[in-house]
Amino acid sequence: MKTKLKIEKIKYQGASWLIMLPGIALFTFFLWFPLLQSIRMSMYRTVNIQLVEFIWFDNYITVFQRTEFLQALVNTLSYTVWSLLIGFLIPIFLALVIGETVRARGVIRTAAYIPNILPGLAAIILWTAVFSAGESGVLNIILGYFGIDQRSYLTERNLVIPLIVSVATWRGAGATALIYMAGLASINPQMYEAATIDGAGIWKRLRYITVPGIFNLGSTLLILQIIAIFQIMFEPMMLTAGGPDNASLSLMLLMWQYAFGGGTMEFGRASAVAVIIASILLVFTALYSMVNKRKVDWDN
Amino acid sequence: MAKIKKERTGVIRNFDMKSPGAKVALVIIYILCVVIVVVSLFPIFWVIMAGFKELREFMVSTAIFPQRFDFSVYSRTWSQLNIFRNYTNSFYVIMGSLFCSLIFNGLLAYGIAILKPYGYKVISKMVMFTLLVPATISLVPLFINVTSLGLGGSFVPLWLAAGANAFFVVLFRQFFESLPFSLVEASRIDGCSPAQTFFKVVMPLSKPIFIVVSIFTVNAAWSDFLLPFLILRGSELETVMVRLFVFSTEQTVNVDDLMRAVVFSMIPPVLLFFIFQKWLTENIVTVGIKG
Repeated sequence: MKTKLKIEKIKYQGASWLIMLPGIALFTFFLWFPLLQSIRMSMYRTVNIQLVEFIWFDNYITVFQRTEFLQALVNTLSYTVWSLLIGFLIPIFLALVIGETVRARGVIRTAAYIPNILPGLAAIILWTAVFSAGESGVLNIILGYFGIDQRSYLTERNLVIPLIVSVATWRGAGATALIYMAGLASINPQMYEAATIDGAGIWKRLRYITVPGIFNLGSTLLILQIIAIFQIMFEPMMLTAGGPDNASLSLMLLMWQYAFGGGTMEFGRASAVAVIIASILLVFTALYSMVNKRKVDWDN
Repeated sequence: MAKIKKERTGVIRNFDMKSPGAKVALVIIYILCVVIVVVSLFPIFWVIMAGFKELREFMVSTAIFPQRFDFSVYSRTWSQLNIFRNYTNSFYVIMGSLFCSLIFNGLLAYGIAILKPYGYKVISKMVMFTLLVPATISLVPLFINVTSLGLGGSFVPLWLAAGANAFFVVLFRQFFESLPFSLVEASRIDGCSPAQTFFKVVMPLSKPIFIVVSIFTVNAAWSDFLLPFLILRGSELETVMVRLFVFSTEQTVNVDDLMRAVVFSMIPPVLLFFIFQKWLTENIVTVGIKG
C-alpha cells in the first residue's frame, strides 16, 4: 500500500514537471539564457557574432569613455525628469476630471484610452508628421492660427526631450488614468458624505479624502513609470534617430545603435550597455518593492 | 422627458449641485473633457484625412480636410505596397502566437499555481525576475541564437517567443490561485491526470483570463516589430509592422503613402478594441493593478 502511494507521488511529481517543461524551455531559450549570454558577451571583444577574446571589463571602460554614452546617460535622466513633470500628473488629472463627469463619461474615457491601443510604431510615425517642419506640419498649421512662427520642432536641442515625453504621455496617459479611476472608485463614498456633514467643501474633500485615497497607488505607478521611461527607445528612434547631435539619444537606443545601427555590429559594447541598463533598473525595482512591500509576495 | 438622475460619484456630489461654485466647476470640467477628447483623437483623425491627399497636396496643403474624398488613393497604396500580403503574414504570426501564448504560459502558470511540485518556487521566482528585466536587453544574443539555429526568416521563433511571457504567466497564476481548489482535487480523485485536469477543469473555469491574455497576445503580436524586424526583414514574410518600419526608414519614401500605411496598420487593433471594449475597460483595470 505504502509503496503504491509512493509511486503515485513520484508519478505526480514527474507529470507536473513535464507539464511545466515546455514553458520552462521557452523561458530559457528566449529570456534566461540570452540574459546570461548578454553578461558574458559584455566581457568579450566581438567581431560580428563571434566572441573573439575575453577582455574583462574593457567594454565597460570604453563605453564609459565614449561621449555618446555619457550624453545618453544624461539624456535618459532628463527623460525621467520630464516624464515626472509631464507624464506623472496628467493621468491623475485625467482621472479626476473624467471622474467628475456623469454624462458621456464612457465616451470620454474611451477617447482618452484609444491612443493606447494604436500600435506604438504607427502612433509615433503619426507624430513625426505632426512635428514636421515646414508649412504642412500639423503643429505649425495649428500654432499658425495663433500667430506663432513656423519651427522645425524636432531639431531643437532644448525641445526634443519634452516633445518626445509628450508623445509617450499622449499614448500612455489614458491607460494609466483608467487605473487611477479604479482607485478613485474604491474610495468609500460615505467618507465624502461624512466630510460634508462636518462642513468640508469641495476643495477640502479633494485635499483630505481624494488625494490620500490614491496616494499609495500613485507612489506605485510613479516608480513603474520611472522604470518604463528609462527604457524609452522607439520614440527617439523614430522621431529623431537620437538627434539632433545626440540630444535625444537614450541608453536603450544607444544599445540598439551599437548592435544593429550603421552596420558595425558592436555586440560586445552593446551588451555592456545592456548590462548597465539592467543594473540601473534593478536598483529602481528594489526601490519599488520597498515602497510596495505589502503587495509583492516573492515566495508565492 | 423624464430622465433618471444619475448618482455623482466624484468629489462633487449631488448635494453640492445647489451651490453656484460647483456648477461653474462642472462647466470647467466639461470644457476640459472636450479638450481631452480632441487632443486624444485629433491626431488620429488628422492622419486618416491626410491619407486622402496626394503627395503634392500633402506637402503644401494647410487644410485638415482633403480636397476630395477619393478612396482610390487608399486602394492604390494598398495594392502598390502589397499590404495584403503583410496582413496575411501578421495573421499567421497572431494565430501561432495565440496558440503558444495560451498553452505554454497557461501550463507553466498551472504548474506554479496549482500542481506545485517540489522546487516550483525556483521557477516561480525566476519568472518574477524576468518581469523586472526588459526583454529588449537580451535582444542581441537572442538574435544571434535564432540566426545560428537557422530559424531566421521564419515565423517559428516569433510563435514560440509568445510562449515565454512572464506577465501572462503572472496573470494566469493569479487567476488559477483564486479557483476553488476542491474542484481540482475532485477531478484528481476521479482519476484525471494533471494534464486532463488542466484541459477539462481549469481551462473551462478560467475563460475570463484566457480572453484577457488572448486580447493582449493578439495586440502584442500585431504591434511588435523589434524581434520580427530582426528575424523577418527582407523576406517574403514581413508583417505589417515590419513593413511599416522598413518603409518609414527608406530614403525614397513618399510621405503620403507612409500616412496611408499608418492608417492600414491602425485598423485591426482599433476594430479589436471596439469589439471587446466593454470587456477591456472593465477588466484591464483590475488586471493592470495586479500585474
